[in-house]
Amino acid sequence: MEPVIEGLSLILLDPFNIMLIFGSVLIGVLVGALPGLSSPMAIALLLPFTITLEPVPAVAMMAALYCAGTFGGSITAILINAPGAPPAVATALDGYPMAKRGEAGRALGIATFSSVTGGVLSLIVFIVAAPALAAVALKFRPPEYFALAVFALSMLASISGKSSLRNLISGAFGVLLGTVGIHLTTGVERFTFGFPELTEGIAFVPVLIGLFAIGELLNQSQALTAHYERIRAHVTKLPDRNDLRLIWKTVLRSSALGTFIGILPAEGSTVAAIMGYNEAKRWSKNKEQFGTGCPEGIAGPEAANNAATGGAMVPTLALGIPGSGSTALILVALIMHGFRPGPFLVQQTPEFIYAIFGAMLIANFMFLGIGLVGAKVFSQVTLIPRTILWPAVVVFSMIGAYASASDLLDVWIMLIAGIAGFIMRRHGFGLAPLVMGLILGSLVEEAFSQSMIMYDNNFLGLFESPIVVGFFVLTFFSLFWPFAGPIVKRMVTRPGVGAKDS
Amino acid sequence: MSQDPQERESVLHTTDLVVALIILAICGILYYVTTTFDEVSNMLAQNIPPEFFPQLVIIIIAILTLGVPFEHLLHKRRGDNIDSERSDRIKRMPYVTAALLVALVVGIPYLGMLLTMIGVCAILPLLWGERRLKLIIPFAILFPLAVAYLFNKILLVFFEPGIFGIAL
Repeated sequence: MEPVIEGLSLILLDPFNIMLIFGSVLIGVLVGALPGLSSPMAIALLLPFTITLEPVPAVAMMAALYCAGTFGGSITAILINAPGAPPAVATALDGYPMAKRGEAGRALGIATFSSVTGGVLSLIVFIVAAPALAAVALKFRPPEYFALAVFALSMLASISGKSSLRNLISGAFGVLLGTVGIHLTTGVERFTFGFPELTEGIAFVPVLIGLFAIGELLNQSQALTAHYERIRAHVTKLPDRNDLRLIWKTVLRSSALGTFIGILPAEGSTVAAIMGYNEAKRWSKNKEQFGTGCPEGIAGPEAANNAATGGAMVPTLALGIPGSGSTALILVALIMHGFRPGPFLVQQTPEFIYAIFGAMLIANFMFLGIGLVGAKVFSQVTLIPRTILWPAVVVFSMIGAYASASDLLDVWIMLIAGIAGFIMRRHGFGLAPLVMGLILGSLVEEAFSQSMIMYDNNFLGLFESPIVVGFFVLTFFSLFWPFAGPIVKRMVTRPGVGAKDS
Repeated sequence: MSQDPQERESVLHTTDLVVALIILAICGILYYVTTTFDEVSNMLAQNIPPEFFPQLVIIIIAILTLGVPFEHLLHKRRGDNIDSERSDRIKRMPYVTAALLVALVVGIPYLGMLLTMIGVCAILPLLWGERRLKLIIPFAILFPLAVAYLFNKILLVFFEPGIFGIAL
């Protein structure tokens, strides 16, 4: 109980931390509401600001921004049919039609209520599951860690995006980027191309800022004339008894689903939201009303996408394996502040975990207030001209990349990453897989090298551990399911055959 | 038994073939670079050699890339279009914007960080068609100054002063 009190008091009793969390929630909702700006981008841009902070407020700010950014997207999804963030895509399907028929306040209220419920429920799972998972992970040796990291990388195949194959290529390129610098066990320089700055490896921050901010800037430069039809929301109303009766089951189901999806390595809020919407529709008695402004169509994705934020923190903190693109950035922040995320972090500094839990919990209640009071104001942010907004993002990107090491090479890395990110995205190669590959790359190699030393360079030695075998089996299914799944489904549902069998 | 050209085209996606060839070329170059890594001293030779892991990853990328030109068939079967994100040609603006950013980054050692930021805030809006000078001028002056003050004076980040020595 002592770490819980200590952790929560680190956040709750420090007005400075509360102020930072409030600021992050405001930025998060703002960024989430602005089409084009995303949570990962905002977290990447926030990283340099947090260098001078203590670890607790630094990570608390990012965690709060992560929660608020996921929610913020729903405001513009409902009011202007332009999801501010990818996880809000499914919310627009029913949110906008409801707003269009004059019930914008009701739609925003359902979205806010569902988001907060999903977020809070997932945080309860987080606080119970993270220490439990960490206790299991403490038994892991390098071979088990290697197998776990390989499994996490294989999950990139199913991360949101069109192509499993391209996500895997993207992730593998990230792993390759992670090998830049001095090889730990032999001291040999790899891929440094004569730049002494690269001997310590490629700095994460410039790559992340480049991929998420500059890549998006180049993308947005093609859509400067985009206009949105705006719907006025006078008052945001919390769901009344009738609405609650209609949505409570959906909210609970989507919260559980979103938390579970969030816990899976590499799966994020967008997948959770889409599945939340589909499940809401599948279980609904009013299937035909979906797409016309159905309350369950708003509650399902909103509860799921925010529940995924708490879920995604579980593997991030307990195993050091990011649960999504945004948590990958939080992982980077932890590393920058001298922490090694994983079971030892949970076991040795549990108060830190409870502090993050406290920050996310406060963030959820803060955006409940913001959602109810300020949704109308936040919908106005889309009035900021893009011609002013994006140059400001460029300035923050340049300074952010430069500030971490005061090195111009980092600005170049940011720019190259940005241009590469723009091209990659255009051709369907996911950016989040690349980031996760970059972060997991060194873990995979280190664990592999240590395992090979343990087994005298005999790869088959890995299979002596049942946990390793288990992870490899999961890896196999995770890699081949995206390709084999549709074939299996077709075989099962082939007309006649399935019916006969059943 | 020559195949119909149209049929052949439908099996091999032209754009993705080019993408795959570019990735394979990058893999080839990087693989070559791994063969130029320094020799490991005999004392450490029993460890996994430094080139082993990068080479393994490069080979995996190359193998995966071989599937890229054929991937559209899988998408077609699922009923979605692999080209939906890239069906439009890239407009002129991303190229111009990227070129401007490169030019500004090249200019940082000469202009210094503050002038470069002012340059970004003045030139980029103009380039993107913003003509309201009443909006651009205060933005281009005040915003970079505020950012420079925050990072330079509060967060104590050293800013390149450039040849004109302009800094806060």
